[in-house]
Amino acid sequence: MDTQFIGEHLGPGKLGHFFVVFTFVTALFSCFSYWRAAQTENDIAGGSNTWLRLGRNGFVLHTASIVGIFGVLYYIISNHLFEYHYAWRHSDLSLPPKYLLSCFWEGQEGSFLLWTIWDAVLGMVVIFTAKKLESRVMTIIAMVQIALASMLLGLYFGQDVKIGSMPFILLRDVMSNAPIFSQPNYMSFIKDGNGLNVLLQNYWMVIHPPVLFLGFASTIVPFAYTIAALWKRDYQQWVRPALIWSLFSGAVLGTGIMMGGAWAYESLNFGGYWAWDPVENASLVPWLTLVAGLHTLIVYKSTGRSLIMTVILYIITYSLVWYSTFLTRTGILGDTSVHAFTDEGKSLTWHLVIVIGVLLILSIGMLMKRWKELPRVKTEESVNSREFWIFIGSFVLLLAAVQIIITTSIPVWAPLYKSITGKDIAPPTNIVQHYNSIQVWVASIITLLTATVLYLRFKTSDNKVVLKRLGITGVIALALALFIGITQKITSPQYILMLFGCSYTVVGMIYYAITVQKAKLKKLGASTSHLGFGVLLLGVLLSSYNKEVLSVNTAGFMMDFGKKTDAENAKESAENIIFYKNIPVAMGDYLVTYKGDSLSETDPRTFYKVHYERRDSAKHQIKESFNLYPDAFVNPKGMQSGLSANPASKHYLTKDIFTYVSAAVDPKKREDTAQFKSNIVKEGDTIYTNSGYMIFRGLNTQVNDPRYAQQPGDVAVNANLDLYDLDGLVTTLKPIYFIRDQYAYQVTDTAKSMDLYVRLENIIPDTKSVEIKVKQPDPKDDYIVMKALIFPYINLVWLGVIIMALGFLLSMTNRITKKEKAKFTGDYPFTK
Amino acid sequence: MKRTHIVLLVLVAAAVCVIVSMFGDFSTYETFASAKNEAGKEFHVMGYLDKVRGVQYDPQVDPNHCTFYVKDKAGNQSKVIFNGAKPTDIEKSEQIVMTGSMQNGTFHCRQIQMKCPSKYKTDQVAIGNAG
Repeated sequence: MDTQFIGEHLGPGKLGHFFVVFTFVTALFSCFSYWRAAQTENDIAGGSNTWLRLGRNGFVLHTASIVGIFGVLYYIISNHLFEYHYAWRHSDLSLPPKYLLSCFWEGQEGSFLLWTIWDAVLGMVVIFTAKKLESRVMTIIAMVQIALASMLLGLYFGQDVKIGSMPFILLRDVMSNAPIFSQPNYMSFIKDGNGLNVLLQNYWMVIHPPVLFLGFASTIVPFAYTIAALWKRDYQQWVRPALIWSLFSGAVLGTGIMMGGAWAYESLNFGGYWAWDPVENASLVPWLTLVAGLHTLIVYKSTGRSLIMTVILYIITYSLVWYSTFLTRTGILGDTSVHAFTDEGKSLTWHLVIVIGVLLILSIGMLMKRWKELPRVKTEESVNSREFWIFIGSFVLLLAAVQIIITTSIPVWAPLYKSITGKDIAPPTNIVQHYNSIQVWVASIITLLTATVLYLRFKTSDNKVVLKRLGITGVIALALALFIGITQKITSPQYILMLFGCSYTVVGMIYYAITVQKAKLKKLGASTSHLGFGVLLLGVLLSSYNKEVLSVNTAGFMMDFGKKTDAENAKESAENIIFYKNIPVAMGDYLVTYKGDSLSETDPRTFYKVHYERRDSAKHQIKESFNLYPDAFVNPKGMQSGLSANPASKHYLTKDIFTYVSAAVDPKKREDTAQFKSNIVKEGDTIYTNSGYMIFRGLNTQVNDPRYAQQPGDVAVNANLDLYDLDGLVTTLKPIYFIRDQYAYQVTDTAKSMDLYVRLENIIPDTKSVEIKVKQPDPKDDYIVMKALIFPYINLVWLGVIIMALGFLLSMTNRITKKEKAKFTGDYPFTK
Repeated sequence: MKRTHIVLLVLVAAAVCVIVSMFGDFSTYETFASAKNEAGKEFHVMGYLDKVRGVQYDPQVDPNHCTFYVKDKAGNQSKVIFNGAKPTDIEKSEQIVMTGSMQNGTFHCRQIQMKCPSKYKTDQVAIGNAG
């Protein structure tokens, strides 16, 4: 007999499950209808568009259904219905409402859901804008939606084969073996969920995943247009929309990737915004190939060349988007990544392999079928043409992507390698240096090409004009590079080359924008995005090359950037410094003091107050002082003894001081073990404290103190104790001693900033002395271990990203609003 | 042959050279025993933390010195010195991957990656510098 469970809310789950199935079915329906629409397009003269309308309606229902899934899941999470596995696993009662959305992207189901939503939204835009290509483009988009919707199905075939993972599955079904779930009232034991990973409780994590996923999802549109063009044998209509959508993708994906960098920088403590981590690489690589494809598409649009290259690049880009999902979601990266997400096991692996396989077979098959009839230009490009160099640049980007993906995929091909050579291959021991030492050359080539290419014109250029402009740019760029190189002490040759490349790009783009384009906003898209690219790379170079570990107190020490061997790095072994409470430590130019921690009722984090002071050594004046509050989740749920630290940074225009706590005493475990210690002192005597001293100035019989209310017959005195620290007099402490009804009483005085408690215990008239009892917790009971880094010019990185994204969007809007001149009207000598 | 094709070939040839040379950069997974054969050279070693012996880390003595014992995949145990703060939650790790080298019979590691059984699906990484 089935158990009747008490306290469950099964309604939302059933509704959600219905939406999941409906989403899948409508995707199938829409895909089929659009396919029929494309097939029957030319059947009837004048055209019946019944299939087209069916396809549209199907897609609208599909979109509504996805929104339904999202709504139900949101309802379940926000109402803390922990009978649902997703809510139990990814949220808890204490979760601040602003992070409710983050629960969506912690789990696999939520991530696929997010991707599906964006795809559907983009699909709706395509329906309204694609015109004659709609049926074909939408067939492809709906087909991908089938694949994505199947990821949410959670269908079982027998014991082992599982298709997708349904977000509305009940906790008792997931853990059906646990005995608790045989009790009808099991819900009364499940009071709270497992909670959201504390690393995700960060504002960047609220906005980074949606943007990144929009970027990922948007790559489908140029891909679908490419396939549609091949399918329809129409190699003209797709160019404009594909270009506009590529610009959109480039902006959003690029921004999304660097938001991930910003998140890593703000809340992870691997000390930086980029670590060449496989998950980061997996998102960077499709961006590189997308940008390459965007450039060759521009070549095709202007000259009719590079069509095949463009098609190949778009196919690669979209396959890489799915491949990166494969890398990050299946757990195949396992040992090599900081954030490889789940190990969903074999079912997801095979599911993704099949999707990638179908995508590849379909697109490569289509390309092969049309290979011979694709328009080509017979003549040669001239060396002084823009298309020639853009083509080379795009190809270099592709090769860079290949290099990154080969190293990133080591865990994928390691088993094969082992079966051939017998060796267990592993990623390089110094991964950052590995990538840097190769990609620095790519960065140099690309930045050197960027400005050069913009000066050239399509087809052929006036050599004299180009050379003159190149000359001027080169001279200014050289001066700029020399200035930066000398002031920033950049010495290794390949980085000097990259530095020159960056300044060449920056100078070139500004020069081009002003002198050639006369700063007309309509034309500035390309120069703006490339300027941003140059600034970004310059920021990467400066912030990484001169990254400095402040907490080792060896100014000028450079990390892992390709010029120090491991042995040299090894010398600088001590990167963490211990700070006892209230005891200043010199760190670089700063005198740093840990001032204590604080907990608040509303925030699960512990904040550590760290005071920084920079002094003028000659005049002993404080030039600058500020507090940083690095924080940490101490003993968060699911961790027995742990610290999940969030860094805090002091931002200057030209550098960041980046600090995080790497170990600390648990404030809850810290006991008040300190005891009062007795001191017998005479007037003028000194009592030492942990961080200074007190001088006993004598007794005062005129007690006038709010803490003491005099009664008739009382005898009261207070001691005057001047308290000094390293800077001088802090305060005068006045502990009170009084006799009332023949009993002695004491009123303790405290110096809160030093945790100092002082009591006038007794008065000894015979020796004219007093007994002062002092209590101060041992500072060794309260300490933090901290690491501090300096990132010079990191603001250039963020500035570069923003400029680049704006440039992409500017190009996009310019292309949307620009009236397209009729091109491809036989201007080019196409071969058949 | 077109000019572009020649340039393409040259670029591909260069890329192949780079990629082949990359293999020299790749490391291998070793055991303590095989890492000992090439003492001083950095490898990856996979293993399991000896939870009985525990992790010794006293920041008051040295905030950059953490020692523990690891049993590698071949079943051999070795002392490990990590020059950094104690990696968060290392006691709970199911498996750890260390990057470092064998020196005088102890494994000095520069980087640790852990697999944790909890809901912390994100693996954790700790980076220090080998001493």
